[in-house]
Amino acid sequence: MTTHEAPALRATGLRKVFGDRAAVEQVDLSVPAGSLYGLVGPNGAGKTTTLAMAVGLLRPDAGHAEIFGVDVWKDTVRAKSLIGVLPDGHAMPERLTGREVLTYLGLLRGMAPEVVVERTEELLQVLELDTAEGTLVIEYSTGMRKKIGLAVALLHAPRLLVLDEPFEAIDPVSAMTIRTILRRFVEGGGSVVISSHVMALVEGICDHVGVISGGRVVAEGRLDEVRRSRSLEEAFVELVGARAGGTEGLSWLSS
Amino acid sequence: MAVVLIRMRLALLRHALRGDRASSLVLGTVIGLILAVGTVAVAVFWPPLLPAALAVWLMGWIFGPIFTGGGEALRPEYFTMIPAAPRRMATALLAGAFASPAVMITSVALTSMAVYGWRFGLLATLVALVAAVITLITMVLVSRVTVAIFGLLVRSRAAAVLAAFVTGTVLALSGNGWALPVAAATAEDLSWAGALVRLLPSGWGIAAIESSPPAALGILAASALVVVLLVAVWAVLLTRRVTSAARGGVPARRRRPRPFPMVRGVRAVAAKELRTWSRDLIRVHLLSFAFFYAVVFTLLPVAIGWWGMVPFVGLIAVLMGAGVSANLYATDGTALWLTLMTPGAERADVRGRQLAWLLAVGPATALLSVAGAAASGETWAWPWVAGLFPAVLGGAAGLVVLVAVTAPVPATDPHRRGGDPLSSGADEGGETGLVWLMLIAVPVTALPAAAAVLIEPWAGVPVGVATGVLCVWGFGRIAARRLASGGTELLALLKYGSAAGRTVREEEAAAAAPDLPLGHKIAVIVCYSLAWLPLFPQGIVPMFFKLFGVEDRVWFLALYLPDAWQWPTITLMISIGLLMYGYAILFPMRYRAPETEQA
Repeated sequence: MTTHEAPALRATGLRKVFGDRAAVEQVDLSVPAGSLYGLVGPNGAGKTTTLAMAVGLLRPDAGHAEIFGVDVWKDTVRAKSLIGVLPDGHAMPERLTGREVLTYLGLLRGMAPEVVVERTEELLQVLELDTAEGTLVIEYSTGMRKKIGLAVALLHAPRLLVLDEPFEAIDPVSAMTIRTILRRFVEGGGSVVISSHVMALVEGICDHVGVISGGRVVAEGRLDEVRRSRSLEEAFVELVGARAGGTEGLSWLSS
Repeated sequence: MAVVLIRMRLALLRHALRGDRASSLVLGTVIGLILAVGTVAVAVFWPPLLPAALAVWLMGWIFGPIFTGGGEALRPEYFTMIPAAPRRMATALLAGAFASPAVMITSVALTSMAVYGWRFGLLATLVALVAAVITLITMVLVSRVTVAIFGLLVRSRAAAVLAAFVTGTVLALSGNGWALPVAAATAEDLSWAGALVRLLPSGWGIAAIESSPPAALGILAASALVVVLLVAVWAVLLTRRVTSAARGGVPARRRRPRPFPMVRGVRAVAAKELRTWSRDLIRVHLLSFAFFYAVVFTLLPVAIGWWGMVPFVGLIAVLMGAGVSANLYATDGTALWLTLMTPGAERADVRGRQLAWLLAVGPATALLSVAGAAASGETWAWPWVAGLFPAVLGGAAGLVVLVAVTAPVPATDPHRRGGDPLSSGADEGGETGLVWLMLIAVPVTALPAAAAVLIEPWAGVPVGVATGVLCVWGFGRIAARRLASGGTELLALLKYGSAAGRTVREEEAAAAAPDLPLGHKIAVIVCYSLAWLPLFPQGIVPMFFKLFGVEDRVWFLALYLPDAWQWPTITLMISIGLLMYGYAILFPMRYRAPETEQA
């Protein structure tokens, strides 16, 4: 049953193996309802794979995922009606313009035409995509692709947003806009999960964080519990156990 | 720099020899060498035919890369930031292009020119050797320039249609081209053909060998000049190509489009798909290809005065259209995720794609059918066309989505495709396999209608309409169910390819199933390339000749035999052709089955 006490997203024992390489070893995480949760980790840690399994885009080899208590892989349709997703680097209906994409997806979801028109107009305006009316999505820049993806995720007013690298390739002004949108979304009772490897950004907007490394969650909780007295960046380097390089070699770079 | 690029090309070749494609590469080289030795044999035993044989090599260099997706191992895009003048870069890339098996094979073939020159004396042999080198360089350059022009031109709908005319004609020639030499053999004067093959760049060397020394020198100098010119042209085209932004083959146009219709479900998907059909140059190219192929293929036998294929031009266009559309889901790349994330959208997605396909293909092919039947003047053909057309159209609209969902060949995401606007990045062999699969499977759905026509001519129409509707409904239903139950696996396949999407157990199964053995591989290629011979000119065409009492025997074996043997021979020929195609298509598929089956 969906209750407001149930976490917005709960993953237990998620695992995915590609060939002989485990992209995700074993991931357990819990995103409290009403939180803005940041999933951080180094490149190749399994962030994207984890999120894809959590929202129902990639079938896990083991484990469960629940959205507000609804099992993603058993009650798929109900789970999907609760979430809006921005996957990283997926294709869109490329030969449509931004306005056509939103109109099409709204209608496909069975939303009322006048609602679709109104929301499309507002989303395009707020995300500053309304100047490119004749441009097909395939011709969009990387930043514009992120923005139209975000608009698609928001269109049906979901209860949980799952955004994979939403700030990548986004200019500072648009980033500010998106941050404001996300904060308003949470204030209005929604929950958000974002993945990122930019610590300062996560520190700036998230109230909960999960640190993922080598396909496992190595720390999770309220932001202050995870970073304690350090900066998130220092805590991260310590948790992941990596050594920051860049001090050796390359002497020929100074001319 | 040239040396570096040659090394780089050789390194790529070494890796290819170790990778999955090693056996195809070896096999291709062996077949190429056999053809090359064959060309030398032509120079020894049938010297007058050598210019024509060399012209075939030139055609191979021109059309090969267009069909196999550019044939560029060293892509110009890799080197855009190297600080070098365009012409120097072009020369270096050209040098790199020479380090390839195809060039080695062609140079073996071109030794035939020295053999030819030997008949004219020592001096002519020397001329022949120089000419052979120039011809080799010219062939490689012509090939590169063609690819470059093709890639640059095909950035508008009109150019995509034009390109489709070229590819459609060439492919139609490979099926029904036999009609032309047969027609020519009955013509009296062939001297124009001899002159034509000497006018092509492949024939200049022959012309030089045959000329007096001063004239020969002039021809050689002129062809060397052409090489220089081609390098210059290629350099310009390369610069254009790497500096102009045309991503993913979008036709140039720019206005705010008509508003998206306010419809839901199936019709919303159909509206999206119809926009895609007209805005994606790959799709524009493929559908126009199907049309041109059908038109040229059916008109070629008119060269020998036979109009019997023309009424079926629309049917053949539907078949080809189905063949090139069978990878419908994969060519959209990972866009499937949106369908999967929209609750309950799978059915609408499948039905909408069917509706759009029917609208894109149906009216035009219906017109083509009526026009073909009327123009041919073959009155017997009307009930056949009227009965078979709805059956085939419906069967195709059903099978297109079913095959697209169950046997996709992963392609590159549209926004990540490279400089060639007509390449989807999918494995060419796999896509060709899908075309063949459709060419065989779709006609099967029209068998009931054909049987009805045989019994009572106009009974074919209701039967054809009924089976057509049934196929659209039934196959679409299966496809929608498969998409709903296995959509995630389909997305994983499209995103990660077949290898990465596999579980460990499937990985082991795939490893246990080795690549096709060489013997079967050769047999598959032989069957692929020769099956048209028994099937079309020796089987289906004489069958129609007999059915409709055409007197001309042309070169159809069956028609030269005593009456009692004619039908058995025709049946045997058609069976041989079908068996050859069946073996060539099904055997490799069965072999690969462990990789793609089970999820």
